[in-house]
Formats: sequence, C-alpha cells, structure tokens
Amino acid sequence: MLKDWKLHIIVLFFVLIGEAIGVKQFNLGVGTIALFPMLYVLLMGGVVSFPKLKLMNEVQMKRAAGILGISFLLFVAKLGSMLGPSLPKIFDAGVSLAVQEVGHVLGTIIIGLPIALLIGMKREAIGATFSIDREPNLAIISEKYGADSPEGRGALGVYICGTVFGAIYLAILAGFLGSLGIFHPISLAMGAGVGSGSMMAAASGALAVTFPNDAEDIALFAAAANLISTILGTYLCVFFSLPVTARLYEWLEPKIGRTRKEGAK
Amino acid sequence: MLEKTKVLVLIGIIAILGNWVGYGVSPVQALPGMLLIVLFTVIGLGLNKLIPKMPAVVWISLIALIATTPIFPGNEWIVAKTAEINFMALATPILAYAGLSLGKDLESFKKLGWRIVVISLVVYTGTFLFATLFAEIVFKLQGRF
Repeated sequence: MLKDWKLHIIVLFFVLIGEAIGVKQFNLGVGTIALFPMLYVLLMGGVVSFPKLKLMNEVQMKRAAGILGISFLLFVAKLGSMLGPSLPKIFDAGVSLAVQEVGHVLGTIIIGLPIALLIGMKREAIGATFSIDREPNLAIISEKYGADSPEGRGALGVYICGTVFGAIYLAILAGFLGSLGIFHPISLAMGAGVGSGSMMAAASGALAVTFPNDAEDIALFAAAANLISTILGTYLCVFFSLPVTARLYEWLEPKIGRTRKEGAK
Repeated sequence: MLEKTKVLVLIGIIAILGNWVGYGVSPVQALPGMLLIVLFTVIGLGLNKLIPKMPAVVWISLIALIATTPIFPGNEWIVAKTAEINFMALATPILAYAGLSLGKDLESFKKLGWRIVVISLVVYTGTFLFATLFAEIVFKLQGRF
C-alpha cells in the first residue's frame, strides 16, 4: 500500500489544493450549502478515478480503498482524544445520546420501507431499508438471506450508493438542515454520527462549517454518537432492525405494495 | 502491522501539511500531536489483535479517550498537543483516498435501478433526520435549549 507513491502524491496534491481553497458557502435563499476541503478532494478523487479517463487502474483504486479503511482510524483516534477531556459534558447529554441512537436505527425503516413499497420494490426493500447498509450490515443480511437473495441485492445496492455519493449527500443535507435554524447544532451533530466513517466525517464537517463557533462540540457529539452506533449497531441490527423490518414488510406489502408486473428492482 | 503503521505515519504527514495550509498550524507545532494520534491508533490496533472481539475503532477510541481524561498522567499536555490537529484537516486526506477509490464502484453503480438510488437517499435522510429529531426532543424536554 505504501509503495504506491503516485496515489499518495495525488492525495497530497489534492489536500493542499483543497485546504488552500478553504470553506465556501452558497446561499440558496431558504438555506445554505456548505462546501469545504473534504468535499473538494472527494470530488477530485472521483474525477481522477473515473474509469473512462484511465488515469488509475483497478488495483490502485482497491489500494486507495484499503488505505481509506486504515487512515480512518487516525480520525477515530483524534476524535477519541477530544472525548477524554469532555466526558462530563457527554454524560450530561447521556439521555439524548441514548435516544438519538433509536432515531438512527428507526430512521432508515420508518420512512424507507413505506416509500420503497410505494415505488414498487419487493423483498429488496427489506435489505435496502433495515439499516444504512455498510459492511457489517451486509454481512448480517447475507448470513440470514444469502448475498444473492433479493434482500441481499437491496442491501448491496444501498451500499454501493453510499460508497458513491453517501458522504457528499450527507454533507449537503447536514449543512442545509443546519442553516435552516430548526435544530440545535448539537442535535444535528448527533444525527451526523450515522455509523459510517466517511459519512460521519463529511456531515460533521458540514455542520462545523455552518456553525463555526460550535465546531469542537459538533466533532465531539458526532464522535460520541458514531461510537454508540458502532458498538450497538451490529447487535441492534441482528436482534431488532432486521426482524422488525421483515415483519413490517409482511404487514405493509399487501396494503401499499404495488403489483409485480415488471420484476421491480 | 508495520505496513499499517507506515501508512498511518504517511497519512499523518499529509494531514500535517493540510493542517498547515488550511489552519495555519506549522508542522513543527503539529508534529507531537500527530505522533500521539498515530500512537493511540497503533496501540488500539495491537489490542484489537490481542482481543479481536472488540472492533479496532472501539479500542482506538478507548485508548485516546483514557489518555486524555484527567486521571491519566500528563493528560493536559496530551490534550493540548492533539488539539493542534484540526479534525477537519485530518479527515481531508481520508476523503481524498475515498474519492480515488470511487471509480471501482461506478460500474456496479450504473447497473442499479433508479428505485434503489431513491431509497438510498431516503434511508440516509431518515437515519440522520430521526436521530437529530430525537436528540432535539430530549434536549427540549429536559429544557436544555
């Protein structure tokens, strides 16, 4: 991984350009869109790795993904070092932190499943909406239904979407919701701790840009919420989310599911 | 493990340079903090090898957390040094690697139907919005803000 100097030099170059551009905010009238270095480098990387351009090969892209996994750990360590001095503050918000995790777990199902059925998805809907479908969730669904089942394909589809545009989407959503002034920055920060590394980083980054005075607290509470999602996520998924989603599907599908005329996918 | 440590050091260097350009913290000023962050990560990875039941992410958070709590000797120095590294500056190189790995998923992405794309947006919106909403409701009920 280390040997691929081309990869690292591209990253260094992107980072320097991205940081030099800095934060930009666009006012849309109703709210603002926050743009910041994390998003620039993500987009630049996406362009360079675009298969048609042939600037990078499959092996390099896989390597980049491998480094992503390792380097995220540094981010985790940084956030951990912010948690230590702030434990009283975190315990003080303990009830909110516990309850928001319920929101993370239910949030995918409550609106995801009905909409999936309304637009004509069948059993794919279970896999697609029982969680945010990151790696641990994929493992859970393929263990229960098999990777090539409709449920497995639904989960994989959302996984791919998440990899391709999850971070950017959550950053824009978080920045925009933040700028509306409905929610407190700390509540939004907890919302940002969705349990996926790059999505959490991008969403909390967007919030930090939108609320510069609360940047430290935003990182702190996003980190705490993300840690809870990471620790409890798998258990909640196996024992709660998946069985509940499957049950809800059986109940809701005859009511609002569309008739299967074209092998809906 | 050695390979991973080298990668961590390399990302650390890139992040230090980004931290310099973006947040005006000189590399000399940022170096001790970054070394500490790399150290926490390596210890966490080591512990994860010994006791793999607990994910590396949890081990690393725990080590970094303990080292910065008031019970740990020298915690004030550790907190001050790690604070020199802006969390956004550390995340930037990570997302650059994420971007560079995107190409490999584009082919499978193109094969997805529109429904799954719509649902993935709904799913991400749902998890973010409901967690935010629930946190906000509890804070309001407690009269915090």
